[in-house]
Amino acid sequence: MQADLKWLDDPEVFRVNQLPAHSDHHYYHDTDELTSGSRFVKSLNGTWRFNFAKTPAERPLDFFKTDFDSRNFDTIQVPGHIELAGYGQIQYINTLYPWEGQIFRRPPYTLNSDQLEAGLFSDATDNTVGSYLKTFDLNDTFKDQRVIIQFQGVEEALYVWLNGHFVGYAEDSFTPSEFDLTPYLQDTDNLLAVRVYKRSTAAFIEDQDMFRFSGIFRDVNLMALPATHIVDLDIQPVVTNDYKDGILNVSTKLSGPAATLELKVTDNDGSVLATQTQTGADQVTFDTLSMVDIELWSPQAPNLYNLTIDVYSADNQLLEVVPYQFGFRQVELRDDKVIYVNNERLIINGVNRHEWNARTGRVITIAHMQADVQTMLDNNINADRTCHYPDQLPWYSLCDQAGIYLMAENNLESHGSWQKMGAIEPSYNVPGDNPHWLEAVLDRARSNYEWFKNHPSIIFWSLGNESYAGEDIAAMNAFYKEHDDSRLVHYEGVVHTPELKDRISDVESRMYETPDNIAAYLDDNPAKPFIDCEYMHDMGNSLGGMSSYNDLIDKYPMYQGGFIWDFIDQALFVHDSISNQEVLRYGGDFDERHSDYEFSGDGLLFADRTPKPAMQEVKYYYGLH
Amino acid sequence: MAYTSNQLHVVYGDGSLGLGGTNFHYLFSYERGGLESLVVNSKEWLYRTPTPLFWRATTDNDHGNGFSVKSAQWYAADRFATCQDIQLTVDDQVVSPLPIAPLNNRYTNHEVADKVSLAYQFVTTTIPSTTVTITYTVTSDGMINVATHYAGQADLPELPAFGLRFVMPTAATGFDYTGLSGETYPDRMAGATKGQFHVDGLPVTPYLVPQECGMHMQAEAVTVTRSATQNNADRQNTPFSLSFSQVDGPFAFSCLPYTAAELENATHMEELPLERRTVLSIYGAVRGVGGIDSWGAEVEKPYRIPADKDIDFSFNIHF
Repeated sequence: MQADLKWLDDPEVFRVNQLPAHSDHHYYHDTDELTSGSRFVKSLNGTWRFNFAKTPAERPLDFFKTDFDSRNFDTIQVPGHIELAGYGQIQYINTLYPWEGQIFRRPPYTLNSDQLEAGLFSDATDNTVGSYLKTFDLNDTFKDQRVIIQFQGVEEALYVWLNGHFVGYAEDSFTPSEFDLTPYLQDTDNLLAVRVYKRSTAAFIEDQDMFRFSGIFRDVNLMALPATHIVDLDIQPVVTNDYKDGILNVSTKLSGPAATLELKVTDNDGSVLATQTQTGADQVTFDTLSMVDIELWSPQAPNLYNLTIDVYSADNQLLEVVPYQFGFRQVELRDDKVIYVNNERLIINGVNRHEWNARTGRVITIAHMQADVQTMLDNNINADRTCHYPDQLPWYSLCDQAGIYLMAENNLESHGSWQKMGAIEPSYNVPGDNPHWLEAVLDRARSNYEWFKNHPSIIFWSLGNESYAGEDIAAMNAFYKEHDDSRLVHYEGVVHTPELKDRISDVESRMYETPDNIAAYLDDNPAKPFIDCEYMHDMGNSLGGMSSYNDLIDKYPMYQGGFIWDFIDQALFVHDSISNQEVLRYGGDFDERHSDYEFSGDGLLFADRTPKPAMQEVKYYYGLH
Repeated sequence: MAYTSNQLHVVYGDGSLGLGGTNFHYLFSYERGGLESLVVNSKEWLYRTPTPLFWRATTDNDHGNGFSVKSAQWYAADRFATCQDIQLTVDDQVVSPLPIAPLNNRYTNHEVADKVSLAYQFVTTTIPSTTVTITYTVTSDGMINVATHYAGQADLPELPAFGLRFVMPTAATGFDYTGLSGETYPDRMAGATKGQFHVDGLPVTPYLVPQECGMHMQAEAVTVTRSATQNNADRQNTPFSLSFSQVDGPFAFSCLPYTAAELENATHMEELPLERRTVLSIYGAVRGVGGIDSWGAEVEKPYRIPADKDIDFSFNIHF
């Protein structure tokens, strides 16, 4: 198969040769590697060769070929944003599409168009291109193994080649993309070529209110797969017997020949609570395990159990060890239309969190994540909405361990297609009811579910943000309902299409609703419990009047709290040659127009991660319930 | 001269009234419409006469909900209010007309009093206009009581703020206050703790766009400490302090290196002027910051400052 540039223009092409999404478990050769690191993972982070082209037409066409002369390429650090490396203009914009006023562009298959528009992105003047090259050798662990490559995040469309052969194509910037490299691998001098386009049709559904970057911005790993490998792990803990006991259903998907799987569950003291052995291939499901006197997982006590599966070959060689921490917690939406977790009314003392660092943009490290968790714990924040995309993989485990509820949101935001200058104008809304956009958004729902399904911290799946609502989003809702009865589904945008409310969202979610209007909803025979998916807009010197929201918690059981907008200012450190200082710059400061300027800074933290003065107010009110 | 009593030494000047004691001397100007000089232990505390304060640098929420546009009259009033009347009272006797030259020729260099008051009445540039009266009452121990009265006026927009602005000649090294922790506003102070707090320097909260900041609600007292003066003959740099204390009830204050207008002018922190003065603002009324959204939601009603209601507040200045 050959790469086709036209895929950029087609919303129905969003993954080519990509491996299916699967659980985010790690795997190791043996138990010792749990602390020393897995031999099966080789990071490709670091310095790559790089060429920047302002338009697709100017890209180095044959750069992926093994005889290509790349001596005039620059170098770039991976992970990183192309714009912050000095290529391409930095831009911040909120709702309108980033080409506002520069290019007239409409989503394919809208406005009664029944065909694609040639060159919509593939021959566009605003579609910058990064051509990345990396050479690598295989160490002994990787030789003669199946080897895949995992891109944890690339904005906004990528093509991959290995040793001159086309490997695959992916969209969905905030979800890992994996490809099988095995057919084209050699022991030494492998030439990996990755072409990253800033825009594709995905741009219509990745219109998040944020700095608009491109590039390989999350980790890249080579991963060797043991002869038999647990590709997917599905852990379903169920609370039983009046919240005292639990049962555990575990199933796996395997690659490779049949193997024996030894499962063990331990508590944090190392006591073995359950064991079971199963042999099989492809799909191995364990018999239901019973556990008595369980410790429930909750923000107050984030109790986790350790599950380990050792995989043995037919000749009894240990092939891999898969550990996973899981927890028991029960989320219920009861007949009284109140959400309970572990038999207690849910109160969300939440915050929306973009991934951000003032030096590196959305390229953040585990240290930043740990600091953010600590900030939340220090200030009684018990919930995070991953606005408006899946976060880096470690975030979910950190929240399991810390006891932070997650509203795990899909990578979906299309407000440029229906919200213009504050007015609701869905004339070319996507995904809407559009069958040509359905599979792309369903794939995002599926990926979010498959990657993160084992995390007790996730109590809501969120379909996306500000994308209006239609049949496509209803189908996303249905996907989660078919696959997961242990969590609720959240979506705010259905407020504009109330006729879909019985098919979209378990909660009445609104953003920036006034306390009076919330009370009016709750006084008027409400159909669903209420959540503020965004409230208390902490732009600049703000966050006044939180008491009015706090009062609603006391007055209305169906008012279940909300997520403050938002966690951290989006601003970038820049050297100011006038004052000779390092200063923080926001939207519009890079001469980019149209921009939404200082609207990029709405955090409880300043961009350098120091708390704003308003944080003491958050800590107080969030400490009351 | 050496003072022979514990009374105030009153100097009936040609353009001002001087009030002195063993370690202080104040000048109340007839020309400049207020307290022109506040010298304690030979250190000057005033750069210009205190003026009524009506403006706060536009916050992002003020911008979003159009409050700055609706209240724009108060921006001009903050900059351009003029003093239209001065009333002098010495030991409870009104001195009228004001004893300006040549009326003051009847006095000597040995005039004394126990208590002297000067009431400065300002008229605002708003349409319709209203008045603010600042009354300074000095007693023989050197304490200055400052009482401020805003005359309510219907048909004016809600006030962004109301207070008195003291600009000191040099930047403070810090301040100490008794009140609430952190930066607080009427609608954002539940999370604060009460206590005594020290603040180093004159920190400006680094919001991306400089804006109203640094408010301290419900303060009982604030003491500003400086170490430098503009006096070329003053070679000392040992710290010296001046205190402002509540009288009838707590006040709000901010202590910053900038006026509201200076903050209003900058779109980034680095555009603010070099820090060279202390701007101590004492407030009788503070508007909340709001937070429902940043594109239209009003500050909740209890946290606004209606224009049609009188506002009175007072505090003492002492050392």
